[in-house]
Amino acid sequence: MLNLEEQVKLFSEQTPDKPAVICQGRTLSYSALWQAVREKAGSLKADGLTDGQPYVFMTTQDESFIVTYLAVHLCGAIAVPLEASTPVERQQQIRDELNGPNTLASFNGNEMVNGQRSMVNGKWSNDKCSDILYTTGTTGKAKGVMISARTWSANAENLIDRLGFTSEQLFIICGPLNHLGSLSKIYPTLMTGGTLYLMQSLKDLGAFFSVFELPFTKFATFLVPSSIRMLLQFAPNELAAVASKIDFIETGAAAISQSDMELLCQTLPHSRLFNTYASTETGIVCSYEFSKYGCVPGLLGKPMKHSSVRIDRDGRVICSGQTLMSGYAGAPELTAQVLINGEIHTSDIGTLDADGMLHLQGRQDDVINVGGYKVNPLEVEDAVSGFEPIADCICIPARHILLGTVPKLLYVPKQGKDVKPKDIADFLKGRLENYKIPLLYEVVDAIKRTYNGKLDRKAYK
Amino acid sequence: MKEHIIELLSSALPMVNLESDFLFSELDSLGVTTILMLLSEEYGIELEAKDATPKNLKTIDSIVRMVEEKLEKKA
Repeated sequence: MLNLEEQVKLFSEQTPDKPAVICQGRTLSYSALWQAVREKAGSLKADGLTDGQPYVFMTTQDESFIVTYLAVHLCGAIAVPLEASTPVERQQQIRDELNGPNTLASFNGNEMVNGQRSMVNGKWSNDKCSDILYTTGTTGKAKGVMISARTWSANAENLIDRLGFTSEQLFIICGPLNHLGSLSKIYPTLMTGGTLYLMQSLKDLGAFFSVFELPFTKFATFLVPSSIRMLLQFAPNELAAVASKIDFIETGAAAISQSDMELLCQTLPHSRLFNTYASTETGIVCSYEFSKYGCVPGLLGKPMKHSSVRIDRDGRVICSGQTLMSGYAGAPELTAQVLINGEIHTSDIGTLDADGMLHLQGRQDDVINVGGYKVNPLEVEDAVSGFEPIADCICIPARHILLGTVPKLLYVPKQGKDVKPKDIADFLKGRLENYKIPLLYEVVDAIKRTYNGKLDRKAYK
Repeated sequence: MKEHIIELLSSALPMVNLESDFLFSELDSLGVTTILMLLSEEYGIELEAKDATPKNLKTIDSIVRMVEEKLEKKA
């Protein structure tokens, strides 16, 4: 299979006028997209971007992101898209880390830790690192996950094969493009000659539904469970009105309730509805069509064509195949903890049934899954510890009517200090990405600790 | 009513500057949904997707106006 850039180039010759990317009323055809990518690659090279060098840029939800992303690859460089709300200090820290000598060496595909290697026409070209995506993920610490062009192609083939991407489709992206859930959809859409529609987010539901007025016959999208809940609660009639146009909806990244699966099936009786198991480290592994086979919470289906799953003695989900990351940038020890003999050892707990379908039951670690974003409570507590009026705190998962789980901060103000939640949130802005900032707060008399003084997280579960 | 809405929303959305003249641009989809959910529960009004427009959610004053109009219709 050709890589993404080769495929876009091919479509720019075969179907030059076909829309490739639409955003806020602007359309880039395949030929216009390819021309913009070539021009951008030229300017990046002129600015000194070289083969194998990381290129850090902020994620924008528009066509310029797609152009830059493809152009970086065309230069042979590594795309490092950061969350739009990444604090400036953290951006600089990432740039410094990526340009360190140890990290630069790890981008060379031949030095992968425990990874699987294979030759393509005598070259390593598609195996070398093409992207670094920052995630909390499996380890609970923010780390740069290295992904190769070969891995992306395997992810794309998994999605095309299981979900059925086609050239007639308009795929709506309304989640952050630096996140695997949305970024991974660029590949199957553009590699099959389809069209991407980019939105900032789902907050303007009127704008979301207006997309369905465009002259396309098949629409598809990826929505995290909280977005599905939002649509079902606030726009059930609008959703039902476009039901005949929706080819499929894929969800994932967090657990979706059985009642929402059932309600979605009722609202969209002719659409294909999938629940997918994926992570930045494992790639896209399993997907289950619950509209066809029944709504079962936690059921993620069989592994896709390039993926395998097994469960270890402790019940942890272990993934192998062509969609795995190459490793964590500049962190071989950390990589060796999760990528062992060509398998990713996740922190997810699950089972495989008699049909080989994966059932997910939860996580083994303390990471809080907020609508698909992974939040490490340690990182939150560390940031709060810099806020002088607070004596002690712990970040725990709490139930939220819409998101399912959100970070909640229990805190003890210093004597005589009146600390409001907004004071803490304002302090954390600029120190943490927005999704890591607790949504719920509670003043407590003391934080429970174990006999040796560590935070007693189990006491809060 | 304005003070009550500010109090209600600030506890649920502590990181949002509710006094902003560009409130809608500060919100993400969760913020928009939280506002719709809290106001519909608090005032017993029906808020839908079509109410969550950039115009209705531009400032705290426009949110107050939206609630007042919904209450008038309800009455």
